[in-house]
Amino acid sequence: MTANNISPEAVLQTLRQVIDPELGCNIVDLGLVYNVSITGQKVAVTMTLTTQGCPMHDSIRWGAQNVLLTIPGVEEAEIKVVWDPPWTPALMTEFGRSVTGAEKF
Amino acid sequence: MRTAPATPANGPSIALPLAFVLTGLAALCAGVVWLVLQPGLLSTYHYNQDVIAVTHLFVLGWICTIIMGAMYQLVPVALETHLYSNKLGCAQFVFHLVGVAGMVWAFRARKMAALAHYASVFAFGVILFVYNMARTLRRTPRWNITASAVAASLFWISMAVTAGLSIAAAKCDYDPALALAPPAWIAAILRGLQSFGVYVAHFGAIRTMHAHAHLGGAGFFIMLIVGVSYKLVPMFTLSEVQSRARAVGSIILLNIGLAGSFLAILRHSPLESPFACVIVAALALYGWELAAILRARKRRALDWGVKYFLTAVALLLPVSALSLVLCWSGLPQNTFTGQLENLYGFLALIGVVTFAILGMLYKIVPFLVWFGQYSRLIGRVPVPSLPDLYSARLQSLGYRAFLIGLAATSEGILLSNETGVRIGCGFLALAVSTMALNVAGMLSHFFKPALPPAFKTSTPLKTA
Repeated sequence: MTANNISPEAVLQTLRQVIDPELGCNIVDLGLVYNVSITGQKVAVTMTLTTQGCPMHDSIRWGAQNVLLTIPGVEEAEIKVVWDPPWTPALMTEFGRSVTGAEKF
Repeated sequence: MRTAPATPANGPSIALPLAFVLTGLAALCAGVVWLVLQPGLLSTYHYNQDVIAVTHLFVLGWICTIIMGAMYQLVPVALETHLYSNKLGCAQFVFHLVGVAGMVWAFRARKMAALAHYASVFAFGVILFVYNMARTLRRTPRWNITASAVAASLFWISMAVTAGLSIAAAKCDYDPALALAPPAWIAAILRGLQSFGVYVAHFGAIRTMHAHAHLGGAGFFIMLIVGVSYKLVPMFTLSEVQSRARAVGSIILLNIGLAGSFLAILRHSPLESPFACVIVAALALYGWELAAILRARKRRALDWGVKYFLTAVALLLPVSALSLVLCWSGLPQNTFTGQLENLYGFLALIGVVTFAILGMLYKIVPFLVWFGQYSRLIGRVPVPSLPDLYSARLQSLGYRAFLIGLAATSEGILLSNETGVRIGCGFLALAVSTMALNVAGMLSHFFKPALPPAFKTSTPLKTA
């Protein structure tokens, strides 16, 4: 994969390698990833966490940054953690709900 | 180039809380073995030195140690801030360890002078702890219900320690020291302590001890359980506080009830029952809010850690009922009443507080181990999740054994039956063993991480 063909889908697929260890589910299917933007060789991800003050905050953010840098062609990865809009379980995918045991909305 | 974080986002090094947790677990193991070997401590009602020694082993060695260690990790996380000083925490650990071990030994050996010295060492540790936590609280960006409860609990533990030292002051003999003709300022301190001791003694030894226990048990332990619940239960069940008014009301009522009943117990006032009702009302509000939080939860399946904790909270019901019976002024003072007091103390300390702590330990220890061993690898290699670090079957066995142990010991206490107490405590020992095995399994990840072979010999990781 080169700098020219980094796709948002490939970024999301790669971010699925990062799990929230408390919930045992990856951050994409938990609905924590709000936005992916790709500019040249730079990938910027806007994401949140399930709880403000989450003890895993730094680990998950750094994990996401680490994993993005493994994508061929990505030279710079930026992770921005936001709290607005707040995360709700309604953002989870069907897979995320099945893994965490959350109910359907 | 930046390296991955070496400590939790807002917490101290993992070594500090782990040191407290492992020390606390050792005290718990020693405590349940002591009760198995000497069940008469619970099946009969006597304020002898062994009873006081084992009580302090549980209260200070197990409960206080774990709660303090957990607070060093949880308070910064829950309040979104940083611990004021990790070094102060380490210093407190040394004072705490020496003070508690010495106090339990001194109680058992009936060495009252040594007891006062060790109690002072312990109290100095508590001063460091309260100062460290108070400075941490001052840094919190958003004052919330949990912060209020933590602040209140710091006040109540300070009061409990002061009351405990006052009891010690009342029992000391100052004349031999004064006979040595010490310097004037030391003599003045000794005479001051002597006068204070005389003042405390006029309340009566038993009532002072009850008031002291009340401050520590309800003021520090229950206040923290209530306050921390409002942050952790929604976090673990994917829910949120449903009525802030209810939550705030429970904390306010608990504080009013604690202050009132402390004075009422001390002065043997008829207001003892009304203030106990205020505390029970606070706990009823808490239970109401907790039920609402759980009804609104999005994570339907509850893990064993949360089940332990919620079962402990449910046990507040019989404990509250017993407290209302025991503070009724018309209660006859006989052997059965004494057994009811034993049951009250047992259910409060072992049923509610210990069960709740065991549940929370299944959240705290895995996090500490995971953070210490796997956090720097997240996103680079498949890492285990927290539930992968321990055995759910052992948790399940421990839960059942603990409930059977509680029921059997309670029956043994009520019937003054030593064998019943011994069997019950045997089940409690089994439950504690499951926890110890799980903790040992979790700690083994430090030596044998669950990683693909290629990563076990990898060099330290760097990120861009």
